[in-house]
Amino acid sequence: MSEVSSTRIGFRDGLLRLAEERKDVVFISTDSLLVVKGEPFLDRFPDRVIELGISEQNGVGVAGGLASSGLVPYICTYAGFLTMRACEQMRTFVSYPNLKVRFIGANGGLHGGNREGVSHQFIEDVGILRGMPNFTILCPADGGQVFEAMLASADIDGPVYIRIGSGREERVFPDGTPFPLGKIRVMADHGDDVALFAHGFVLNRVLEAARELRKAGIGAKVVEVATVKPLDRDGVAGILRATGSAVTIEDHTVINGLGSAVAEVIAEEVPARLVRLGLQDVYGESGFPDELLDAYGMSVRDIVAAAGKATAAGKR
Amino acid sequence: MTDLAAISRELRRDVVEMVYRTRDGHPSPSFSAADIITALYFSILTIDPARPDWDDRDRFVLSKGHACPILYAALAKRGFFDRQELFTLRYLNSHLQGHPYAPKTRGLDATTGSLGNGLSIALGMAFSAVIRKKDYRVYVVVGDGELGEGMIWEAAMASAHHRMGRLTVFVDNNNYQSGGTVEKVSGPYPIDEKFRAFGWHVQSIDGHDIGQILTAAGEARKVEDRPSAIVCKTVKGNGVSFMVGENSWHKRVFTDDEYRDAIQQLGGKP
Repeated sequence: MSEVSSTRIGFRDGLLRLAEERKDVVFISTDSLLVVKGEPFLDRFPDRVIELGISEQNGVGVAGGLASSGLVPYICTYAGFLTMRACEQMRTFVSYPNLKVRFIGANGGLHGGNREGVSHQFIEDVGILRGMPNFTILCPADGGQVFEAMLASADIDGPVYIRIGSGREERVFPDGTPFPLGKIRVMADHGDDVALFAHGFVLNRVLEAARELRKAGIGAKVVEVATVKPLDRDGVAGILRATGSAVTIEDHTVINGLGSAVAEVIAEEVPARLVRLGLQDVYGESGFPDELLDAYGMSVRDIVAAAGKATAAGKR
Repeated sequence: MTDLAAISRELRRDVVEMVYRTRDGHPSPSFSAADIITALYFSILTIDPARPDWDDRDRFVLSKGHACPILYAALAKRGFFDRQELFTLRYLNSHLQGHPYAPKTRGLDATTGSLGNGLSIALGMAFSAVIRKKDYRVYVVVGDGELGEGMIWEAAMASAHHRMGRLTVFVDNNNYQSGGTVEKVSGPYPIDEKFRAFGWHVQSIDGHDIGQILTAAGEARKVEDRPSAIVCKTVKGNGVSFMVGENSWHKRVFTDDEYRDAIQQLGGKP
């Protein structure tokens, strides 16, 4: 399980594939080409790279102009420089007119930002975008899944956000595994005691926690929710009906992300006990990725304990 | 030749009518841009009202989106939609939003409103022409107040860096922003020297002399290796005496008397 994949390369290779197939695909760099090792794209498609320098607001504005005149721009840089620095441009000039722009946000979560510290660790990106109509928000688990998510989302007629990391992620799925756009995916099913909903670079931990829980006699379902928006509400509700209790695990603040999305389904459709793991309304700090996830409440032990807490409240 | 000055007065009258009847909107920022918009929509732009999505058309971006009443008036006069729609401005279910929203308004190329964003959008449209080997040009009107937005200068730098000769910006230099004169509030001068320093071709003209606007646009078309800025000295409220020098007309509704007076001053019959 320690084999390294790279979400950044997954993006780049997905973009190469799309550009080979589609004449309208262009890449906007805000001095971020090297961040995703984009030289092969520049070599192959020099006329389809727009380098704008360090200017994310301008980059998103340019993307809006391109998308309104016949092209499909992919803009990739650090997640917060898009979703926070250029937040209003994403909202008013892309999401509102529902333009076909693809945003790829790097350094998602503590895992993604790791030693860079808080300015480069983005724990709010999903929550910010969840409030914007028209957005599709994807949080693939590893490099191969980013590649597949790029292909799967290519025809979405509106803005898409794909969360990627630092480029050193553990492999979760064998390469070539399709990305389940718009649907939850049950990755392990050890029983109906508790559902573990998660996405992204914490999934191997969640799978391990589920195995630990099985040893302790608690049957967990591991459910990947890689499409945070639009949420597969029916899928989530179905799982909740079976388990009656749930834990969400996300490398993101627990406010407005996956935990909140699942809580909305619980509140509106299927009453259940919920424990949300993730950043508990705090910022992170510099550190190694796995250390950070452990330190901020996303260790295997934390997941096991949360599942125990969720199930202890009893099934309905 | 079409009497562009007469059209410009007619569009201003439509703005007065819109604001008076719908009880909302920005009249004086519309008037400072009125002659530029008239020159664009009735001479400069290659467009076809029968085909608003025609891919080879020139694009126009009103970066100072609050001046949209004058743009809506121009689109209606040019035949993109019926003039009667003007009087639904800012009403529920209207095609005419308080600030420009391209998906709803026939003939509108860009969604704008929050200031400082239009130049980047226009740059994207220009890049699309380069990449897709189209001949169209892209025109923008920016206000002088919105030059305070850093994003304008991000886009200005990138436009010059990429030698975007097909991009032309009219600066509506009416010397006012919401809070008073631009000198007092934000200090954008010298505007021409700033664009020149960013690598632009710059012309300075009288923004209410349509002949000068057309000549400057013609000059800009000849410059292929740089984007062009045409700094237009304008007057906020130009055309109606009691609006000039009175910045409350940035956003203000006409009384019955003011309405009649304005329409008369603009050569119409109330």
